Formats: sequence, C-alpha cells, structure tokens
Amino acid sequence: MEIALKKLFHWMPFLFGIGFIAPLIAQTMAAWDIAAPFGMERIVFGLIIGAPWGLYAVLRGRWI
Amino acid sequence: MDRPIDVADRPAMVPEVDGAAPVSDRDSPRLAVPLSASDTLDRHTRADLRRQEMRIAREFHQGRMWPYVVAAWGCFAIWLSFFPLAIMGWLNLPLAFVLSCFFATGGYVTSHEAMHDNIARPGSKYRWVNEWVGKVSTIPIVFPFSMARLMHLEHHYHCNDPVKDPDYTDEAPNMWMAWYKTWYNRQPGVDGSIHHYKRILAEMGTKKAGKAMKDTLKLQLLFMAVLFGMAWSGYAIEAALIWWLPRHIGLSYIRFYLSWAPHHPREEQTERYAQARIFKSRLGHFMSMCMETHLIHHLYPGIPNHRTKDAYFALKPILEKRGVDCSAL
Repeated sequence: MEIALKKLFHWMPFLFGIGFIAPLIAQTMAAWDIAAPFGMERIVFGLIIGAPWGLYAVLRGRWI
Repeated sequence: MDRPIDVADRPAMVPEVDGAAPVSDRDSPRLAVPLSASDTLDRHTRADLRRQEMRIAREFHQGRMWPYVVAAWGCFAIWLSFFPLAIMGWLNLPLAFVLSCFFATGGYVTSHEAMHDNIARPGSKYRWVNEWVGKVSTIPIVFPFSMARLMHLEHHYHCNDPVKDPDYTDEAPNMWMAWYKTWYNRQPGVDGSIHHYKRILAEMGTKKAGKAMKDTLKLQLLFMAVLFGMAWSGYAIEAALIWWLPRHIGLSYIRFYLSWAPHHPREEQTERYAQARIFKSRLGHFMSMCMETHLIHHLYPGIPNHRTKDAYFALKPILEKRGVDCSAL
C-alpha cells in the first residue's frame, strides 16, 4: 500500500497534467472562444499540452 | 498539563536553559533565563528582567478568542458553499476567487492559535472547539492540522536551526528571492515546504508523525479527486478559482509573511531574543497577519496573535535592554 501510494504521488504531476491542466486549458479556450489549431477538439489540444507538461514535471522535478 | 500535547512526543527536544523559546506560554523561569556567553548583562540583571518580562506578558495572555472560532468556521462554511453554488451557476466567480484567497491565507492564522492550544487547553470543556478550529482552517491550503501543528511546534523547538527547523527552507537573501522560493519550494522535485515536512515526519517516526503523514496523504488525494472530478465534469475554471489558485496564492503569502519576513536572516539567530525580528510591513499589521511583532509570539506563544502588538509595546523597554532592535516599531 505504501509503495503504491509512493508511486502514485511520484506520478501525480503527470496525472495532474491529464486530470486537471488538460480540461482547464480546454474550458478556458472555450470560455474565451478560442478554437484549437488544426481542427482539433479543445480537450485533445489540452491533453497535448497537459500530459507532456506533467511528464516533464515528473522527470525534471520542476513545472518550469 | 503545563506543556502542549506534542511535547510528549519528543521530550528530549525541550531546552532547559538558553537558546530556544519555550513552546508553552506557562513556561517556568527555569526554562527561560538565557545564559548565553554573548549576553552582556549579568545573571542577576537577566533574572530580574525576565521576572519583569513575565509579569507584563502575563497580562496579555488569553483574551477574547471566540472571534477566531467564528472566523474559522464561518469562512470554512462560506468557502464550502462555493462549490455547489459554482456548479449551479449562482456564484460570482471573481468575488469567490478573492474571498477564497483570503480564506486560504487567513485560515492559517486561526489554525495557528489552535496549534498553541490558545482557544481551549487540553482537558478543558471546549477542547473540541480548539481542535475543530484547527482542522477546518487549513483545509483550503491542503495542509492537515495534525501535520501543521507538529511542524510548527518543531519550528518553535528548533527555531532557525538549519537542519532541524522545518521552515528553514524559506530562507532567502532578499524579499524577491523569498517570494520566488515560496513557489520554488513547492516544485515536485524540491526538498522544501510540504516535501521537506514529509521527510521530517518520516524521520520523527512517532505515532503522531505517522498520523500526520496519513492525514496529509488523505487530504492531498481528496484535493486531487475534487480537482479532477470537477475538471472533467466541466468545472475546471471554477475548481481553479475556488481551490487550486487560492491555495497557491495563500501558501506563498503565508510562507512569505509568516516565515521569511519575521525570521530573516535566519543564520545563527537561534538565541531566544534573536529568533524573530521586529519589522515594519508595507502592507500594515493586519495584512501582514500581525507578523511585525512575531518575536512576541516566539517569546510567549500563549499571547493571541491580535494582542502581540500591544504586548510588544508594553515589553519594548525590556526587549531593548535585552539587545533587541526595536527601531522599526
């Protein structure tokens, strides 16, 4: 259980990128009436930004 | 009964003489007379000053504490109501955002009184009020009371000790770097802020430390579940403005005003009268959460936050004799 929780918290920034940043980007774009590029759905665009950003935070230990 | 409950966890940590301030306001003279070699006053003068200091300080202990209770529970209830109101579309989001930032930041102040048992002592009839003020106050910043209390008392025991003071990671050479560090220390791979606290808890290895760790994990998981759940249900902006951003803004503000500003520069400032400095805040006494006179809190944690300024002016002549720089206020 402890190991599983440690793993979960280790990967939390990645999950946060998918679970929160991606929909936040999509909904903010919708609120400001901004379309996603290349005819993508806004949530797909959000996931393209959020997931790699979260992965970067896991690997690098920093969000920026 | 003369010491807060957490002392029982780590009896060896309470200094007998010299250095760190006692955590309880009902400290005995045995605990408090500083005998450091650098003190230029003779022993008799120091003991006499200490007696005068304690007599004056006693006048400022306790006082009306119910406003802390009303503020803690009232603000928490209002903040909780923001979630269903936001989902129903009945909330003014910009106003809720500003209020949430205020609640997140101010919650630490009410919780801080509870950490020092200032609302109700262990064993008293209204002890549960003390505990529940503490518990609800720090939920908006996702910092469980059990963890907050343990770490804060460690901060008192080992104030400005580079290794043992849990808040030492907030130290920075100037205010701009201090603001930057409030953010930097929260990065996933940095051993600062809550990550540093978790490591200290693991090292403590006590029952209370274990509980604090569990509470922290539970609250962090709840926080993530609420954010993810709201975000994927179409309420990401609402979740961001009610909880996510106010938490970050609150934590930075708390770290700056409650940790960096009163304790800077921390290096070698471990002696009783040097643990905090008297400073003039650009934002005033209230907006700096009464931290201008934080030294009084370190000397007498039983004096409520709102009375530290009055206590400071009453104690000022004695503090000056002790070598405290009182020029700012």
